[in-house]
Amino acid sequence: MAQPDDPQQWLNAHGDYLYRYAMSRMHDSEIAQDLIQETLLAAWRGYDNFAGQSTIRTWLVGILKHKIIDHIRKEIRGRDLNDVAGSDPTSAYFNQDGSWSESPHAWRDNPEALLNNEQFQQTLQSCVKKLPAKQRVVFQMRDIVGEESEAVCKQCEITTTNLHVLLHRARMALRKCLETHWFGGERSS
Amino acid sequence: MKHACRQATMLASESLDRPLTLWERLKLKLHLSMCRNCSNCHDSMQLLHRVQTMMREQESERTRLSDQQRDALRQALAQSIKAANHPQE
Repeated sequence: MAQPDDPQQWLNAHGDYLYRYAMSRMHDSEIAQDLIQETLLAAWRGYDNFAGQSTIRTWLVGILKHKIIDHIRKEIRGRDLNDVAGSDPTSAYFNQDGSWSESPHAWRDNPEALLNNEQFQQTLQSCVKKLPAKQRVVFQMRDIVGEESEAVCKQCEITTTNLHVLLHRARMALRKCLETHWFGGERSS
Repeated sequence: MKHACRQATMLASESLDRPLTLWERLKLKLHLSMCRNCSNCHDSMQLLHRVQTMMREQESERTRLSDQQRDALRQALAQSIKAANHPQE
């Protein structure tokens, strides 16, 4: 069996790349640093599993992705995400007769501008943080980590129907939060 | 049709996660063509989804480990490796 490369070397060669990957998803430098430490150690311990079919970097990113998902999932450990019964929070956006209680505005910003706007990114993160835990976890896995729907269902032990219910609630709440705190009223059409 | 708008927002959200059936697509398209509110909501969801996807793909060279973080990681790795190689110490 080949000797594992020194994890210190991996840190030198791929540290910034891994950090960028973690930061673009977790937006927290301390968490990103911890996840990289866990990743490099797990890679070192499990070097026998590295088949050499991919590059070291691809392999490390794969491990990091698992660590990110584990980290997100920790928050809902032991909780049943299928329990979505009870009052539907999206009913707050509609009147008794089914019409919108507050008209959604047209957002005119283009995605590239938002992507590079530090303030928008902060607003988005604070809106995500305000989501109830179950909504936040599925939203983070699906839209921030970018897992496929089936993978999120498996990770969270949740039915497809309930995944869609939670994502709908999360996106409605985020839209509302961003409209209030970012897109404002004055830019409405 | 009382909940037509809520259903439309549900379909708008689900369209980001699974291919809608032909019937669902037609239903959503028809509703959006008549309803400015839902159309705005739909566009916002699409925009957010697009931004999130781009965030994952962007390679910002500005984001790098600080020297402090790099040192902390280096030390943590060295300690863990030492502990693993000499468990009795």
